[in-house]
Amino acid sequence: MGGHILEQNLTREASDAALLSARGLNKYYGGLRALRDVDLDIVRGEIIALVGDNGAGKSTLIKTLSGAIVPDGGDIVFDGSSVSFHKPTDAQDVGIETVHQSLGLVDELDVPQNVFLGRELTRKVLGAITVLDKATMRQRTHDLLQNFSIGLPTLNEPVRRLSGGQRQTIAISRLLLAEPQLLIMDEPMAALGVDEGSKVLALVERLREQGITTLIISHNLEHVFSIADRIAVMKNGAMIGVVKTSDVTREDIVSMITIGQA
Amino acid sequence: MISTVKTGAPDKSIGQSDKKFRFDSLGLTLAFLALIVMFSLINPRFASYGNLLNVLTQTSTYVIVAMGMTLVITKGGIDLSVGSLMALVTCVAFGLIESGVHYVPALIIMFLLAMTLGALNGAIITFLAVPALIATLGTMVAFRGVALLHSAGKLYFGLPPEVVWLGQGAILGVPVPIYIAAIFILVTHWLFNLSRFGVHVRAVGGNREAARLAGIPVTRIEVAVYTYMGIAVALGGLIWMARIDGTQATLGTAMEIHIIAATIIGGTSLFGGRGSLYGTLIGALLLTMLNNALVIAGVEFFWQLVVVGVIVIAAVTINNIRENRIDWINQLRGRRAANRSKPG
Repeated sequence: MGGHILEQNLTREASDAALLSARGLNKYYGGLRALRDVDLDIVRGEIIALVGDNGAGKSTLIKTLSGAIVPDGGDIVFDGSSVSFHKPTDAQDVGIETVHQSLGLVDELDVPQNVFLGRELTRKVLGAITVLDKATMRQRTHDLLQNFSIGLPTLNEPVRRLSGGQRQTIAISRLLLAEPQLLIMDEPMAALGVDEGSKVLALVERLREQGITTLIISHNLEHVFSIADRIAVMKNGAMIGVVKTSDVTREDIVSMITIGQA
Repeated sequence: MISTVKTGAPDKSIGQSDKKFRFDSLGLTLAFLALIVMFSLINPRFASYGNLLNVLTQTSTYVIVAMGMTLVITKGGIDLSVGSLMALVTCVAFGLIESGVHYVPALIIMFLLAMTLGALNGAIITFLAVPALIATLGTMVAFRGVALLHSAGKLYFGLPPEVVWLGQGAILGVPVPIYIAAIFILVTHWLFNLSRFGVHVRAVGGNREAARLAGIPVTRIEVAVYTYMGIAVALGGLIWMARIDGTQATLGTAMEIHIIAATIIGGTSLFGGRGSLYGTLIGALLLTMLNNALVIAGVEFFWQLVVVGVIVIAAVTINNIRENRIDWINQLRGRRAANRSKPG
């Protein structure tokens, strides 16, 4: 593991190249150690997949990176500066947005209302009365969806009438509005059909073309191998290793997940 | 014209409003018009200009309180305490005026008290996590108790003429309560349909956790909605006590069921997230018309309570059927669809 000084040097080097560098993250839930000295570097512009069995610590790790939970130890350097997140908006403020498995959509609201939820645009009428600028929000939603080639039959329906894949793309596009540097996705293809899953995959690839870095949790190794530049494997709360997708086979990853050896 | 989104069907919908909403309110409007025609055919007195103005005036208090209730139910809440709160604040205002306080400060105190007690409802619900049904059931009884204590069974009457004018006066032949209700509807329309606040109310009612994650101040929205409910109750109560130039601690008994009925008939979902002020307006008018027609037909008042109770349950049931919330009907539908798709 090297000495203390060496580790610090490593940290500095890594942060220069990396968009995000996590060092020595720990998290305890009572007696359970959910994260064990986890290190992770995320390179600018890459898609990095996070895999592992249930209970491996994947969700805990992304929750620390997105500010949903506060780690019991460790450091995070983002975009060259040291950060500590106490709530989700802390992470959002520096440019980290997270698509949760629950998606965070309001079923009864339409597409622009969901995309602009919590940051609605307004305008003044008669010089004094503030009203929602529905036309601009609709237009900007339309442009945003078009920019990322997201097809939706309509913007005006409550989102509960849309399919799982369509809801997923809305959940992603509402985060793109904030122009994030790092997008974290928790199982975005889970519970989607094959066709819809591949559409979401294609969207993630287009995001890479536009320079957005993505950390994606997935159980589906086929998906992982088709889009990820690198794969990070966790087991029992520890980071087993991070490998280039082109250097490994699926069998290698499976054995890392199950046996816990690189 | 805006170009279409790349994949999927051409997006013709940009710039259009929600078609489903239009359809819903159209159905309600047609039912409303049909009822007017029916009542007029049965009794020509119903359709007279005088009686219609009378219906509108009678509706004004209900419609104002129901505007507040629409926000509350859309937020995913309910308020059973509106009738008791109205009794309490009108008794307090009357008591102040009777003891020699000028009516302006007395009415200001009435509104502030209603807002405070409304906010109290919201605070109990949001900070103590008491379900809205139980919280407002508790305050319903408590407010009534305070009203009875305060008035000691007294019948208040005799307001200054300026206040009575608010209930009994007219401008250009149209009663003042109708103007007041119209203005309040417009203000609520701005708040609910045109402002950020309205979207946030729907978001909190539709998905509280998503609203929180989106940075919406959920607790503040909840307290604000119930505070607005308090304003609605005070305004509705002001019109009521001015119209009859009196009040008592039993005022507004069973009012909550009428208000909730008007809101639900109008298509506001008890499950939160969806509400329609237009629907509530029509719902309130429908109920008053029904009562009015029953009165003209000489039906006893207590039967009206029976009718309203049945209407509330029927309205929610119809909504449940449309939204596929009833399991055994869903199963029937599924079986029928399966039979249809069977070969031969």
